[in-house]
Amino acid sequence: MKRNHEDTLRVGGVSSGYGVGGSRNSGGADLKGECSSMSSGKGKMWVEEPEAGGMDELLGALGYKVRSSDMADVAQKLEQLEMVMGTAQEDGISHLACDTVHYDPTDLYGWVQSMLTELNNSPNDPTELLGSNQIDGPLLAPAESSSIPNIDFENQSQIFSDDDLRAIPGMVACPQTDPDSENSQKRLRSSPIGSDSIPALPPSPSASNVSESTRPVVLVDSQEAGVRLVHTLMACAEAVQQNNLKLADTLVKHVGMLASSQAGAMRKVATYFAQALARRIYGIYPQETLDSSFSDMLHMHFYESSPYLKFAHFTANQAILEAFSGVNRVHVIDFGLKQGLQWPALIQALALRPGGPPIFRLTGIGPPQPDNSDALQQVGWKLAQLAETIGVQFEFRGYVCTSLADLDPTHLETRPGEAVAVNSVFELHRMLARPGAIEKVLNTIKVIKPQIVTIVEQEANHNGPVFLDRFTEALHYYSSLFDSLEGSAAGLSSPSQDLIMSELYLGRQICNVVACEERDRVERHEALAQWKTRMCSAGFDPVHLGSNAFKQASMLLALFAGGDGYRVEESNGCLMLGWHTRPLIATSAWKIPATE
Amino acid sequence: MVQLEEQEKRPKFFINDQLDILIEILKRLDGPSLGVAACVCRLWCTLIQNDDSLWEHLCFRHVSVPLPPSVRPVVVALGGYKRLYMGCVRPVLSRLADSERVRKRVWTRHEVELSLSLFCIDSYERLGGSGRLNGDASASSLMFLCKPVNV
Repeated sequence: MKRNHEDTLRVGGVSSGYGVGGSRNSGGADLKGECSSMSSGKGKMWVEEPEAGGMDELLGALGYKVRSSDMADVAQKLEQLEMVMGTAQEDGISHLACDTVHYDPTDLYGWVQSMLTELNNSPNDPTELLGSNQIDGPLLAPAESSSIPNIDFENQSQIFSDDDLRAIPGMVACPQTDPDSENSQKRLRSSPIGSDSIPALPPSPSASNVSESTRPVVLVDSQEAGVRLVHTLMACAEAVQQNNLKLADTLVKHVGMLASSQAGAMRKVATYFAQALARRIYGIYPQETLDSSFSDMLHMHFYESSPYLKFAHFTANQAILEAFSGVNRVHVIDFGLKQGLQWPALIQALALRPGGPPIFRLTGIGPPQPDNSDALQQVGWKLAQLAETIGVQFEFRGYVCTSLADLDPTHLETRPGEAVAVNSVFELHRMLARPGAIEKVLNTIKVIKPQIVTIVEQEANHNGPVFLDRFTEALHYYSSLFDSLEGSAAGLSSPSQDLIMSELYLGRQICNVVACEERDRVERHEALAQWKTRMCSAGFDPVHLGSNAFKQASMLLALFAGGDGYRVEESNGCLMLGWHTRPLIATSAWKIPATE
Repeated sequence: MVQLEEQEKRPKFFINDQLDILIEILKRLDGPSLGVAACVCRLWCTLIQNDDSLWEHLCFRHVSVPLPPSVRPVVVALGGYKRLYMGCVRPVLSRLADSERVRKRVWTRHEVELSLSLFCIDSYERLGGSGRLNGDASASSLMFLCKPVNV
C-alpha cells in the first residue's frame, strides 16, 4: 500500500487503478503495518499533550481498541516492520524503511499539504490541467497526469481553491472549520456498501502539528478511506453525468488511490468501477468482439465459485421437470448453451422420474465462433455421451445466431406430440439494447408454443435513463455480489483462480454497465417486477415455482462454505437468491394461457 | 469333559472365511469406520474397495423413502456408489449437519436428488472431450463441497 502511494505520486497515473485486482498490493504486512503504525502514531501524539483523563480512555473514545500498555508492543512491531522492509527483496520497498514518516490519519489537511509540496517540486507540472477547459485528448500519457490537481501552494492561502476536490460531498477531502458537521454527515449515510460498513468515526480530527516533510508516504485510516472512496465514486459519476469531464478525470484518479488503501471486496469493486468510469471519460469503449471461449471460461469459473448459476440451473430445471411430467417426448430450447452445465442434472432427473425417461431433445443456441469451430456440437456430443450412459434417448441440435432477435421459429422444427420448454439464463436482458428486439423474441417464443418458459435474470435495475441512477444501483449490486464471493472464499488462505476469474467475469459486466452506451450496453438488467410486467403484457401467465424448487435451492445454499449469508426468498411464485438482505438473482416461470 | 474336548476340536470361527457375513457386518458401519476397516488387512481392503454394494448402503442408508430401482444403474453408469459417497454424499452429510447444528439422521428425497444432481454434473465434467476445459477445470464443480466450512 505504501509503495503504491509512492508509485502514484511519482509516475502520476493511477496504474493500480486500471489493473485487475491489484493483487500485488495485498500482503499481510500492509494491514498490520497500517494498524500498528496508526495506533502508535496516535499514541506518540497524545503523549505530548496531556489531557484530562487516562490515555486509555482517550484512545477508547477515539475508537482505537488498544491500551497504552500495548504501545511498547506496537513500537516493537513497527521496528520489526521497518527491519523487514529494509531487507525486503522487492524493488522500491527497502528505501521506505528509512524514509517513512507517520502521519496522524485524521489530519487530512496536513497530509494533502505535504503531498502537494512534493508535487510542486516534481518536474512534471501539469498546471495545464487547471488552465485548460477540456481534457487533452482521449489518451493522456501517464506522465502528464497527476493524482491531485497541482496548485501552486505558496500562492494560495487555503489549500484547495480548485473546486475539484470540493465537489466531493461530505467534505471528505476539503476540510473546513466545522469538523462536527463533517462527521455527522458521514454518519447519516444510510446505505452501507459491502461488508466494510460505516464504523464509528472518531469524534473530531485533531489539529496537531504535522512535521514538514516532503516524503510522500502516508498512512490512511482504511475505514475512513472507505467512506471517502464511496463519496468520491459518487462524485465522479455525478461529474460524468454533468459532462464535467475534467473534474471527473481528477476524481477517478483519486478513487484509484483511495481504493488501494482498502482491502478485499471493497477495493476490487472500487477498482472495477474506477476503471469503467475512466473508460467512459476517455471514450475508450470496449468492443463486444470478445472471444467467446474466453468468456465461456470466465463463466465456468463463476459457476464453480459461487451458487448463483447453480441456483439458476436447479430452480429452472425443477420447473421444467414439473412441466414435463407425464410427457414422453420433450424438447428444450436453451437460449444460451455455453458449456451446457444446466442439462446433465435435468437428464439425470428425467432418467430417474417415475415412469421412466422421455425422449429428450435439446436445441442449444450460441453465438458464432471467431475460429469457426463448432463449439455447440462439442457440447452436444458431451451431453449425448452422458445421456447414453444413463440410458436416456437424446438428440441435440446446435443453432448459431448472433442475437436472439434473429431466431427464426420455423428453423426450430417443432414436432407434434412434443412438449417444449424455453430456457433463458441471463440472456434476455441483452435484447433490451436494441429497440423492438425483446418484443420480437417474445413473439418468437409464443410461436413456438412452449409448455413452460423459465427466465433467470439479475435482480437489479441497471437500465434506467439517468446514468447516475444506474451507477448507484450498479455500485450497490456489485458490492453485494463481490461481498458474497469474498465470503465464500474466506476459508481459503489465498485467492483461488476461481475467485479471480469470477471477479473478472463480473468486472466485465461492470464495465459494460458503466462505460458503454446505445447498442453496446448489453448488460441492461431489470428487476423482477419489470420483467413480470413485460411478460404479462406480452400475454404470458406466471407459473408458481413450488416448494420442491425452494427446498432444493435452500439445501444447495447450505452446502456452500460461507453459505450463511445466502438467502432464498419466494416472491409470488418466483424464487430469488440474495446475499443477506439484498436479492441478487431471480428465477421465474411462465406459460402461455390455454386458449379455449 | 467330553463336551469340552469336542469344543476344542471344532474349528474356531474365522471371519475371513465367511465373506457374506463379513459384508453384512461392514454394511452397517459408517463412513469413517469403513475407512478404518479397510486398513485391517488386504482382504478387507480389497473387499471394501471393490464391493460397490457396501457403498450403496452407506450412501442411502438414511433415506426415509426407499429409492426406485432405476437409481442403481444410473449411479453405476456415472461412476459408482463409492465415488458418489466420496464426492457428494459425505460432504453433503457433513455440511448439512454442521449448518443445522443437528446430526441429520434421516434423508428425504430432496437430499438424494441434490446429491445425485451434483454427482451427475461432476461426471459430466469429467467426460472431457472439449478442448476448452483444461484438466483442472474439469471435475472441479464439486470443489465447493470440499472447501473448508467457515465455522
